[in-house]
Amino acid sequence: MLRFIIRRLLITIPTILVVITLTWGLVKLAPGNFYSSEKAIAKPIREKIKERYGWDKPWYVQYGKVMWPIVRHFDFGNSLRYQGQSVTGIIARSVPVSAAIGLLAFLLALIVGITAGSLAALKQNSKLDYASMALAMLGISIPNFVVGPLLVLLFSMTLYWLPPARWNGVFSRNVILPVLTLSPIYMAYIARLTRAGMLEVLRSDYIRTARAKGLSERAVIIRHGLRAGLMPVVSFTGPSLAFLLTGTVVVERIFALPGLGNYFIQASLNRDEPLIIGIVAFIAITLLLMNLLVDIAYAYLDPRIRY
Amino acid sequence: MPRFTITASGKSTAYLLLSAMMLTMIACAPASRNEEFFGRTDPPADNIFRYVSGDEPESLDPQLSSGQPESRIFMALYEGLVEYDGKTMDPVPAIAERWDENNDSSEFVFHLRHNARWSNGDSISAKDFVYSLRRGVSPELLSRSASLAFYIRNAENYNQGAVFARDPKTGQFVLEKDVAPPSSTVMPLSETPLTAGATEYKSTSPEASQDTPFHQVMHSPERLALPGDEKSRNALISKNPKIKAALDGKEFVKVTGEDVGIEAIDDYTVRISLRQSTPFFVGLLANQFFRLVPQKAIEQFGREWTNPAHIVTNGAFKMKSWRPYNELMVVKDPMYWDAANVRLDGIRFFPLADQPTMMNLYRVGDIDASPNHSIISAWVDEVRYKKDYMAASEAAVIYVVMNTTKPPMNDIRVRRAFDLALDKELARKWRKIVKPLHGITPNEIFAGYPEPKGSHYDPARARQLLGEAGYPVIQNPNGSFSCPSFPINQVEYTFPTAASNKITAEFWQEQWKQNLGITVPLRSMEFKTFIDSRSKLEYKGMAFGAWGADYMDPFTFLSLFYTPENDNNTGWWDKRYVELLDEANRTPDRAKRYALLGQAEQLMVDAQPIIPIETGTVNWTKKPYVKGMYPNAGSVFPWKHVYIERDRSKWDYSTPSLTPERTEQVARTTSSN
Repeated sequence: MLRFIIRRLLITIPTILVVITLTWGLVKLAPGNFYSSEKAIAKPIREKIKERYGWDKPWYVQYGKVMWPIVRHFDFGNSLRYQGQSVTGIIARSVPVSAAIGLLAFLLALIVGITAGSLAALKQNSKLDYASMALAMLGISIPNFVVGPLLVLLFSMTLYWLPPARWNGVFSRNVILPVLTLSPIYMAYIARLTRAGMLEVLRSDYIRTARAKGLSERAVIIRHGLRAGLMPVVSFTGPSLAFLLTGTVVVERIFALPGLGNYFIQASLNRDEPLIIGIVAFIAITLLLMNLLVDIAYAYLDPRIRY
Repeated sequence: MPRFTITASGKSTAYLLLSAMMLTMIACAPASRNEEFFGRTDPPADNIFRYVSGDEPESLDPQLSSGQPESRIFMALYEGLVEYDGKTMDPVPAIAERWDENNDSSEFVFHLRHNARWSNGDSISAKDFVYSLRRGVSPELLSRSASLAFYIRNAENYNQGAVFARDPKTGQFVLEKDVAPPSSTVMPLSETPLTAGATEYKSTSPEASQDTPFHQVMHSPERLALPGDEKSRNALISKNPKIKAALDGKEFVKVTGEDVGIEAIDDYTVRISLRQSTPFFVGLLANQFFRLVPQKAIEQFGREWTNPAHIVTNGAFKMKSWRPYNELMVVKDPMYWDAANVRLDGIRFFPLADQPTMMNLYRVGDIDASPNHSIISAWVDEVRYKKDYMAASEAAVIYVVMNTTKPPMNDIRVRRAFDLALDKELARKWRKIVKPLHGITPNEIFAGYPEPKGSHYDPARARQLLGEAGYPVIQNPNGSFSCPSFPINQVEYTFPTAASNKITAEFWQEQWKQNLGITVPLRSMEFKTFIDSRSKLEYKGMAFGAWGADYMDPFTFLSLFYTPENDNNTGWWDKRYVELLDEANRTPDRAKRYALLGQAEQLMVDAQPIIPIETGTVNWTKKPYVKGMYPNAGSVFPWKHVYIERDRSKWDYSTPSLTPERTEQVARTTSSN
């Protein structure tokens, strides 16, 4: 197991470097730069900017200048757009916001999704099953940029119960609407995955064995059924959580949250090279780590899997 | 100032549109129709104003950031020689109590108030202005706005790293007039040697014409400035034998900050010498770029000086806290010279960019006013009949640029045909709140300015012109038109990705199709990609154009066509146009000057490098209890005059008038007359 983890972690490093290299290349290919605006810039100034940021050097020198500090100190430098702010500072500041919303939304999705999915599986083809699966279908089909404004309309504009936007910390009412906006789609996926997983497991031989042993239905479902039935949910959790932790562009924009997703979009539009690279690297690392955690969780949950 | 900067990606624009649609559905419900105001109108409990400043500020350095979101914050934190009047945008005294102007507006003397202080208590003197301007135009700062200061002598030379040529033996500099062909144009007074008694000043303020060695230099003919970089310099020299001869045996001296035409005559008098007559110069000085920056803090902390822990400001408000992308709070600064007249205790700026979100916050009463252009077109009908809706003409224009360097748009008849085929009247009716545009200067903004005669919708003439250009338009049996010979693969309409741009583009496309039988392909591009392609003239045929005033003078629009370096993205340039503008700016009489500017504009309109589309309208909302905030043409708000009125009988129940009150006019009168 330990060997497996170490091997996976070692593979992570070159993967991240490749991701950073590709990102750097794509940013270089994009027309315009962080300085360009509607105002025409005189040639001497353009030259000066190129010189200041080393864009007059050959590509490998520029590449080296970006990569070397990253490889040596994991230093992504300063944002070009937000003068005097370091990339790591921006990420460190915005990730907690994204993570708080993301984790809360996923937690809610897990609770509701697993409950609904298991109930649907246990009472297959019942009204409950159809109702929860119809709702899940709805949750998957309605994008969050529709859910968000609808919730705002109802709870903020009509009832004046909840603030329509802005961030005031995790323990504020401002959190409720973004979380409610973000979770339905995950809730729906989890419900469907749980139902499918449970249906398969409940028909398997070892469940029959468990029942035959005379275990209570409760023990059969929770200890044996859910444990295996949730495997698809677990593999879904890894990447989903990685994306949720690293910010959701739409929700952060609608609700004006100072999260990573917001910065990511702005960084790309602003051609803020160091910030783009930093955020992409962060997302890649989170994703790889989450996948590793999922694989470890597999081994723990499913006795058939050994590394 | 570039406007209509699109910050949303294509995808999020779709989200905007969708969310807008959802909200309009409900917003149009009959219940809300009857409300007097858009949302709740309870004043905040404390005396702190809440406002959305727009996108996250790039920097809190007023010389670095040129954007509107930042300017909203800078107007609270920083002050310069003059400030905008909240209604007319005319310059009103700020740190300068009064000023003198010489006879041809090429030199200005500012008299500073003695009680102006920084937020740390240090007093503000003329030296702060010298430092700030030199820093602003320094090549090291790389400010995007530095070009605003290029009217000042040697500012451009310093900014672009130019060199002078000097005779090492005599110390004499090579002058511009030594190498330039003898021109018939009159030199501005600031380029002619000082005469005794200096009769050039209208008023006889003793400091104004006070002589100093620096002033002597400023008042001598312009030195020849050459590119600092050797390659371009040699290229220039080898091309021009006259320059080559003049440079023989000369050494090159780098232009420095000390050469820039600003001087502290004494602690409280600043003199600025310009390289040309600039009648609108004082108005320009209200721009954020000319606000003071703190020398001590900058020298101590470098780029970190805007960090809340280090920042030193001089405006009516000072920094309290800054949580990026969330809230920037400023509080009233007791050190401010006019603190007694500052009515608010503080302002919370919320940096956010999503327009529906802004209006949601406004509606529930979480902000007291929404920023300009916060009302997307789908909402306009819902909001514009409310009593808290602010509308007025905007000093901003929208037009179509045409690539005059490539066929078929290099033919003026083709360009004109595409203009005449647009029913702009209909487009305006459909867009509801915009005003007409006849050239490049906005409609009804500059009183007394002779706007050019615009084109009128004339599809028959348009078809005729296309025919003359060699692309005959044929009428089909069913009454529609087609133009089979038109090289449609050479023409498209490119615009920056945004829902509003797309809808308008489709409208025009339909008109061209209807009237010319040409289906112009539409091409949406991400903003920076678009800017890049447009400025390099890589676009085919036509592209979106928009501009907003940097200062309140027609020249801010006309100057787009001033340099041959394609600031206007059309490739069009005419020497005669530039001469007319120069002549206008040398003319002290305002009416005559406007007439000359108008002539120049007519010349440009006749050459048709652009299709004028519309003059913008400011559109935003403020709660009725917000007073001292007016929908002026540039949406600039001097925060010190804004206050929260708790007495309902004094609330605004309509757009407040922009006509200046008498008392304010007296205050605006300066010593220059």
